[in-house]
Amino acid sequence: MESCQALMSEDQPAMDSSLAGVDWVPGDHPLAPTTQPFGALSIGLSIGPLSLRIEGLATEQAKELQERFHPFVKDCHGPVDVAIGLRKAGIDRFLTPRRDGSIEVHRLVSRLVGTRLELWSYEFSGWVETRIGLAALSLVASSGPLFHRGVENFLRALTASFILEREGLLLHGAAVVRKGKAYVFFGPSGSGKTTVTDLSPGDTILSDDLTLVVKSRDGYQAAGIPFGMAHHRVPNTCASFPIASFNRLVQRRSVDRHPLKGARASAEIAASLPFVMQDPRQARKALETVSQVLAEVPAFRLEFRRDDAFWRVIEET
Amino acid sequence: MDPSIVLTKNPDAAYRVYDGQATVVLPDRAEVSVLNEVGSLVWDRIDGKRSVEEIIAAVLEHYQVNADQAQHDVFEFISSLRDHGMVFG
Repeated sequence: MESCQALMSEDQPAMDSSLAGVDWVPGDHPLAPTTQPFGALSIGLSIGPLSLRIEGLATEQAKELQERFHPFVKDCHGPVDVAIGLRKAGIDRFLTPRRDGSIEVHRLVSRLVGTRLELWSYEFSGWVETRIGLAALSLVASSGPLFHRGVENFLRALTASFILEREGLLLHGAAVVRKGKAYVFFGPSGSGKTTVTDLSPGDTILSDDLTLVVKSRDGYQAAGIPFGMAHHRVPNTCASFPIASFNRLVQRRSVDRHPLKGARASAEIAASLPFVMQDPRQARKALETVSQVLAEVPAFRLEFRRDDAFWRVIEET
Repeated sequence: MDPSIVLTKNPDAAYRVYDGQATVVLPDRAEVSVLNEVGSLVWDRIDGKRSVEEIIAAVLEHYQVNADQAQHDVFEFISSLRDHGMVFG
């Protein structure tokens, strides 16, 4: 299964020399995070069918997140699907990055304890209770890249879990809206998702990396998410669009499109679902949802080269 | 391989069958596999009750293949499933 996790950058939490080599694990480490919020402010987000409220923010944090997540910011007074309490971690990091010069795949650890999903990485730890709509997030930094990365990493995983509960998916794929229909392009890193969006200058780009597949009364729709991690596109709309097709990208010298069906289609999409395939219960739910999506939306293997000829093939077929 | 052994699926495996072919996800290994029709038939019959011998008999019942070939193919396939942690026993 491919992963959308990136290689570690230099920008990792500072080491606490007294804890060198120790990874924090929820519930079994004496250094539990503090429960002190950063401040008393909140912001609301509307992501596809999900409404979120991020609480416990300081003034500058609220201002930065509002700018960063625009236009997904919504009025947050009233009931939401999930309220997320932000807290100061009180420690320098949760996982210890390697310092021996070797390449380390970015680690995001998760486990399901009953109905509670626990997630932690270098710069954050958190938990999500989808049934009661509550979540908590402890962050090692109160500002800067580590703060924003912790918030976004957690919210992406949280979104993947919540959308799964709503019979939808968070797919490692790009989405381009043309003539009112969304075309989803998916595949592992390097398959051409960003290239496809670059080759669609007149169209609305919902994402070049992660797309929400949302179940609605009118069928499955695609929507963007505001968590671009600074190097991916964040859409300028929070609207959803009916999905015309899923296209598994394969780079070739020629352009062609072939139907992708049954177990092969299911496997290709399942391999492009971050965050939810590590837990058996979520994996079963995800496979079931993929099956339902494929019953309504066609999938293809799209062979393409670095020009916009793929659009002609898509529109002809 | 002892044909009398009884295998069980990895309880963590998530799978779904489409027109005789199965998609199998193994969360702890982060692997997605697609099994062809024969593989799916074998997978379906790995249930903690049937022996490998019985599974070979089922393959012979559904496909025109000689017994030696069926046993060889099923042994090889089960060995692969074991290597991937998809079955135990």
